[in-house]
Amino acid sequence: MAGIRIENLVVGYGTEPVISSLSLEIADGTLFTLLGPSGCGKTTLLRTIAGFVPVRAGKLAFGNRDVTHRPAYLRDIGMVFQDYALFPDKSVYDNVAYGLRARRVDETAIKTTVSEYLERVGLSAFAQRLPAALSGGQRQRVALARALAIKPTVLLMDEPLSNLDAKLRVQVRETIADLQREVGITTVLVTHDQEEALALSDRIGLLRMGRLEQVGTPEDLYARPVSAYVADFVGAANILPVEVAVPTISGASAQVRLDGMSLEVLAPTGLPAGAAILVARGETLSLGAASGATTNAIRCTVRRRQYLGGRTSFRVATDAGRDIVVEAHGAAPTFAVGDKVSLRFDPVRTLVVAS
Amino acid sequence: MTHTPRDVWFWLSALALALFALFLLYPLLNVLSASLAASPSGQSGWATLLGEARYRTAIVNTLMLGAVVTVTSTLIGVPLAFVAARFSFPGKALIALLPMTTLIVPEVIAAQTWLMILGNNGIVTRAFADWGILIPSFYGWFGLITVMTFIYYTYVYIGTLAAIKGFDAQLEEASQSLGVPPGRTLLRVMVPVVAPSILASALLVFTLVVGNFAVATILGQRVHLLSVLTYQSFVSEVGTNPVMQSTLASVSIAIVACALFAQRWIVSRGRFEIVQGRGAKPRPLGGLSMLPITIGAAVIVVISLLPLATVVAGAFTRARGPVMRWGEWTTANMERVFLSASDPIVNTLIFAGIATVLSLIVSTLAGFLIVKKRNILTPGIDYLSSLPLALSGTVLGIGLVMSFNGAWLPLAGSGAIVVVAYLIRRLPFGIRNASATLYNIPNSLEDASISLGVPPVRTFLKVILPLMVPSIAAACVLVWTTTVAELSASVVVYSAGQETMPIQIFRLIDSNLMAQASAYGLVLVGIILVPILIATTVFKIDLFATK
Repeated sequence: MAGIRIENLVVGYGTEPVISSLSLEIADGTLFTLLGPSGCGKTTLLRTIAGFVPVRAGKLAFGNRDVTHRPAYLRDIGMVFQDYALFPDKSVYDNVAYGLRARRVDETAIKTTVSEYLERVGLSAFAQRLPAALSGGQRQRVALARALAIKPTVLLMDEPLSNLDAKLRVQVRETIADLQREVGITTVLVTHDQEEALALSDRIGLLRMGRLEQVGTPEDLYARPVSAYVADFVGAANILPVEVAVPTISGASAQVRLDGMSLEVLAPTGLPAGAAILVARGETLSLGAASGATTNAIRCTVRRRQYLGGRTSFRVATDAGRDIVVEAHGAAPTFAVGDKVSLRFDPVRTLVVAS
Repeated sequence: MTHTPRDVWFWLSALALALFALFLLYPLLNVLSASLAASPSGQSGWATLLGEARYRTAIVNTLMLGAVVTVTSTLIGVPLAFVAARFSFPGKALIALLPMTTLIVPEVIAAQTWLMILGNNGIVTRAFADWGILIPSFYGWFGLITVMTFIYYTYVYIGTLAAIKGFDAQLEEASQSLGVPPGRTLLRVMVPVVAPSILASALLVFTLVVGNFAVATILGQRVHLLSVLTYQSFVSEVGTNPVMQSTLASVSIAIVACALFAQRWIVSRGRFEIVQGRGAKPRPLGGLSMLPITIGAAVIVVISLLPLATVVAGAFTRARGPVMRWGEWTTANMERVFLSASDPIVNTLIFAGIATVLSLIVSTLAGFLIVKKRNILTPGIDYLSSLPLALSGTVLGIGLVMSFNGAWLPLAGSGAIVVVAYLIRRLPFGIRNASATLYNIPNSLEDASISLGVPPVRTFLKVILPLMVPSIAAACVLVWTTTVAELSASVVVYSAGQETMPIQIFRLIDSNLMAQASAYGLVLVGIILVPILIATTVFKIDLFATK
């Protein structure tokens, strides 16, 4: 087992390569997620790590082993595909045994290993079935067992949950998380689903047009996004244009002006004065009576109220007509549509980023 | 910048391209360039073509025959397909067998059996003559149109049936719910959607008529046709100057190529996406409306199966020279075929056997390269492999003889050239069959196997090939049945001693020895039918699944 090191990787041809000079370090034994919208290059990057896409420049290593130009079948990877890619003419058992037979493991050892992994994914009773006789979730668990049975150096998963319905997705997600932790294998997972990424990952890399926009823990990406793009992609956020009064030199906070009102919020070091973007998650905002406290708050009017069970969602409009969504958890304030309210920004959970 | 290393697939592509260029492109270019050379008389082939009336007539006749048969085939094929798709009535199961008849009855046998019924000496002709009624000669336009129509309408039938079955009946319901009555709904909603398929299959019929050799030669007589003149000038020009045969061949290539381009254009423009293909359930026919439809369908079925019955009867009927003694049964014809003149049977089995095996290997590999291993060479393979569609058998045969007659690769005269002709003629079918299957096998299966440590070529053998087995088996049967029946190319390239069954039948018809021809015909039908029966009943292979 080993970590993955990518240095200045270039993939694709012409003047606009799919991936241009990307560097990334994935620690041994962790689950790393490549997150991004379709067409951002995440699947290409995964297939490059697997060896199915040729590298134009740069370096790719598993641990100390340089695999940049090594053919896929010699890379010792386990791969899980979006459409499962189970061999339709082979039984569940033979599917899981396939990679072991390629490695000329003797049949008794194969039997032990296959049984062990089918046990782990809870499919021991299905060994003799053909893939067509399994449900989607079962198929993906067979695919997982097949990939892990060869005890690969790294496990690569390409949108493994996207063909499953919502309920199964959560179940198989649990299986993946548990197995990955038990086996302790370095894993790269590709997804466009931010919730899946937050739930599963040790670290996430958000890709945008072939470049890594931000790499960090799920908390980093959610609570401390480096750009409006990250904030918008990971979870829902109010993205508001603001003016930064004074450039931040060091320290954590800055004064910004939103619709003429002055607010104190978190800011990165070195943010210049002028136009910037305010990122405010709905659950960090709070509503109060218009007559109440006015520090770090602006006046708004309630436009819509939606009761959603565990929370209540309000849409309020500033005096300048800007819409902002507020999520109130627990006992919701009793404001009705048309009420004048005071909207308060949490100074340590609201963030300003460069525009 | 690092280059992707040239992998094993690249070199296989190069090999395939080289072979196709040698056996396909090179003969074609030879034909085209020879047509531009000057003949011994000093005139170029094109000048002779325009100067001599019979050549001009042949071109006009060929186009006319193509047009007429296309129309008549459509007039039979489309209503039959509609009736088969939308209604159920007694005896409908028989209609489902119709596509099989073109497969089972080779063209040469169809022409022969029609002659045995309506020819100068035919059963029906003589019966009518006994009553004092003279029916017009079957030779010429009457026979050509009748026989070709009943051979080729099945192509229109199959194409139309598939289109109607794929049509979403909910669209019709939607139209009727908007207030359009059923009849007008059919015209306004279904016809525009299925029309491209009908047109495409009609144009295919046109190309087949233009290229047809067997029926044209046997029944054409005084009607000059392009394919017949091409063959005749080949036979008279061998070893001398190939100008006229090449010129005529070039004309036929041009006509067929135009039709094929028109067909492609129609298909590419007319591909409507049917979101949810829920076909209509066949409606049982009741009462009086059932009668004309059932009778009409029955007539077509009976006429289509007539050659089969005739060939069986002919094979066991006593004959003295050209005179058939109907009613007097004998096994002498069959005994002769098996005991003293079995060479054509042996030749057919050997040539077609080798060609079928080679064809499956080549087309599986070429299909795999085209679909799964695209590289800079594969588009070339794709284009070249569809080229035989534009070449009639006669043209292909002439090209092969011109290209491999002596010089550096002397294939002409050996059995190898017959095998090559077979192979090339069936190539487009084999490759399309393989490609259709491969498109349905997801690429991730191959990646999965490679990711588990199995190298690319072994992955192909262990994962992809087993999944292709059912379709390869179906292709094997279809390639075999069409190859053993092949006449137009093999009759051009064969040498003495290499007669196949269709060639022998063709020669016997020419000598008016119908009983002998029927005996060979029966054996040929058997050789075609047995694999089909085994495949469909024992192995449960759906032969038309990928067509």
